[in-house]
Amino acid sequence: MRNQSNDVILRMENIVKCYGNLIANDNVSLHLNRGEILAVIGENGAGKTTLMKVLYGLEHPDNGDIYLNEKKIQIHNAAQAIANGIGMVQQHFMLFDPFTVTENIVYGKEPKKGLFFDLKSANQTISELSRKFDLPLNPTAKIQGMPVGLRQRVEILKVLYQNADIIVFDEPTAVLTPQEVHELLNTMKRLAEAGKSIIIVTHKLNEVMEVADRAMVMRLGKHVADRNIADTSIEELSFLMVGRHLIETEIPKIAPGKDILRINNLCLTREGSVPVLDHISIHVDAGEIVGIAGVSGNGQSDLVQCIFGLQKADSGQILVNGKDVFNRTVKEVRNSGMAMIPEDRFIWGSAAQASVAETAIMGHYEKPSFSRKGFLNVRTIREFAGKLIKEFSVKADSIAQKTSSLSGGNAQKLIVAREIRQNTPILMACEPTRGIDIGAIQFVHDRLVEKRSEGAAVLLVSSELSEILKLSDRIYVIYEGKINGEFKRGNVSEEELGLLMVGSKKL
Amino acid sequence: MNINANYLAVVFNSTIRMMTPILFVGLGSALCNRVFIFNIGLEGTMLTGAFAAIVANYYTGSIFISLLAAMISAMIVSWIAGIFMVKFKGAMLVVGVSINMLISGLTTFLMQIIFGVKGAYVSTDLVPLHKTDVSMLKQWPILQTMFGSLTYLDFFAFILAIILYFFLFRTVTGFRMRSVGINKIAAQSLGINADRLQIGTVAFSGLLSGIGGCLLTMGGVTMFAQNITAGRGYIAMAAATLGAAHPLGVVAGSAFFGFAQSMANMLQNSSISSQLTMALPYLATILALAIYNFSQIRRHAQ
Ligand SMILES: Nc1ncnc2c1ncn2[C@@H]1O[C@H](COP(=O)(O)OP(=O)(O)O)[C@@H](O)[C@H]1O
Ligand SMILES: [Mg+2]
Repeated sequence: MRNQSNDVILRMENIVKCYGNLIANDNVSLHLNRGEILAVIGENGAGKTTLMKVLYGLEHPDNGDIYLNEKKIQIHNAAQAIANGIGMVQQHFMLFDPFTVTENIVYGKEPKKGLFFDLKSANQTISELSRKFDLPLNPTAKIQGMPVGLRQRVEILKVLYQNADIIVFDEPTAVLTPQEVHELLNTMKRLAEAGKSIIIVTHKLNEVMEVADRAMVMRLGKHVADRNIADTSIEELSFLMVGRHLIETEIPKIAPGKDILRINNLCLTREGSVPVLDHISIHVDAGEIVGIAGVSGNGQSDLVQCIFGLQKADSGQILVNGKDVFNRTVKEVRNSGMAMIPEDRFIWGSAAQASVAETAIMGHYEKPSFSRKGFLNVRTIREFAGKLIKEFSVKADSIAQKTSSLSGGNAQKLIVAREIRQNTPILMACEPTRGIDIGAIQFVHDRLVEKRSEGAAVLLVSSELSEILKLSDRIYVIYEGKINGEFKRGNVSEEELGLLMVGSKKL
Repeated sequence: MNINANYLAVVFNSTIRMMTPILFVGLGSALCNRVFIFNIGLEGTMLTGAFAAIVANYYTGSIFISLLAAMISAMIVSWIAGIFMVKFKGAMLVVGVSINMLISGLTTFLMQIIFGVKGAYVSTDLVPLHKTDVSMLKQWPILQTMFGSLTYLDFFAFILAIILYFFLFRTVTGFRMRSVGINKIAAQSLGINADRLQIGTVAFSGLLSGIGGCLLTMGGVTMFAQNITAGRGYIAMAAATLGAAHPLGVVAGSAFFGFAQSMANMLQNSSISSQLTMALPYLATILALAIYNFSQIRRHAQ
């Protein structure tokens, strides 16, 4: 058991932060005890990240004070936060890919030897630090090509190297695999035992229940509740977060129609020989959601990219309503009746600098309603974007706002809205709910089911097994580029899927 | 055989003299690339240095003050450009082109006011950069030809490349500079004043381009002509790109263009039309960049 005292290490009082006329933090107060793990929870756009940025000096509050050990402090920039013993593992990692682990960790506090950067002693320090906190890493490895879990470990060591007493994790598990999540939660507990005080920003309530001592709930910029984990439940927290009870998605029974999307013997090799997709044959029928389950990196992304024309496959057939679109351009594939929610909303799904309205028509701007003879029809586009954000409750100041200033969940909702509203007979949804909160997840799920009810064929790729099991009428398991099992709804358990996903053969 | 060797020695010597002004500016450009600034204004700051060197020389007769004036004036112009690019987030291309046009017009105008001439100013009163003494190479006439009539600055250019190599890859400041180029937001979130680092780098690149400009006007023939840099700033940027913004790579890139330039000079005495020979360095630039980019694209595709 941790020896958490009631000794308050940090207090933030009446923090107010506005972006234009949006109040992101409305008189929010927070306190953190020494050795405690505090969960800050709330829906997307509730203002959690903003509050943490204020604490870390990345945003300047319009009002409010910060006290460290009951002494008022000023934090104008990250350097001051670090100097005050506050460290942050940010939602988007702050790493330099071409640099080594050590170089990334000692950044800003580099050991010197005369005029030169003393890399040798730096490497040694990092090896020791990594051993001390039991976070194994190779100090001289480059960040490039590292899995997300390891990158996060680098971020954690960076904070520890800076000697932080207070460590903030912003949505740390959003991008991790289940094993990595498990490891991270253990790391947090260990750090708290070692006397660090921890704030975890999240909306994954089972993680909150597992790791936190106390939860602070935010909604629409306000601090609405505080609960000791021992005295609360997932149900109560979820109710406090969204302000209403969530209703389970209902999946009506419908008989699937004829196959709209059929893929025959799709093959792809990399560097001439390594098979990435190995004779993949699948089909998706009208009125059906078909899930592809697999540990990420087993060819799912390549499969989707080959279907959609983003990558050229080696051989095979991709039939849309009987017409072959194998290795066509993205435009031709879209025109044949396919839409896609891509797996990374900022890399594939939108442009950070584009406005909400621009994102709303991206990939479809050539449709006659949006443009004629190369000129955009600005009025129709505005109306369309306005309608989309209302219908899909995307929280945005205006349709002229930059996409990058939307919170992750809202950006995702916008992309989902765009792709669903194209009313295509086929929709591919890749990780449609990655890193978004339960309210938004529920919403996206409902829309996918609605799409299915309208008779569309939906191909769902997700590393979230619960999502696959909940939504899919049929499930394919993919392992090392091969289909390793096919099941109808209800004919397979999570455990069986888990085994097939790591390569075990079907009995 | 002997004539051949002598001819090669002459080409070598001329290549060095043609390449060092480009090398100074190219090193500045490489530093800018490392902090993710595309500093097209180097053409203009090089011209600033070239002009300031002549003017200071004209009034003081001191080559030392001449060099100092070139460095300081070019640095100030570059510093201002840097502030516009980084602090006010001006489009780098627009700021750079504005600087170049402004300086081009201003130097032409001032030349008329100060020297009362149009086109070019030449005078025997001007004190050129000191030449290094190669008399100890008497026994080896070939070596004497290779390294003859070079200024101290020509040699310093190569030493500077090595210094900058150590600076970039072995010192903390160099490390942070590279980091800003890789991910500025991350650098800022880690408490580095990235803006200041970028502006400082642009200012320093200006200083280097000033040395390049001074070398151009006070190295071989002491003269200033309207737009005497004639695109050398741009060629230096190409050299930096070809050298992958690595100081030693820039040496190779500059050597390539220095060689093209010296070839062009030699061919001027041949029967080939001079318009064609003069275009040679620029054609070489386009060709080299095209090949370089093509190979980069191929590598990315794989
Ligand atoms: N730089 C910004 N400019 C304008 N609005 C912003 C900016 N950053 C965040 N917001 C808005 O502030 C609100 C709170 O965002 P955020 O703190 O990121 O939420 P959370 O982390 O809880 O999901 C959101 O509505 C978001 O759109
Ligand atoms: Mg957030």
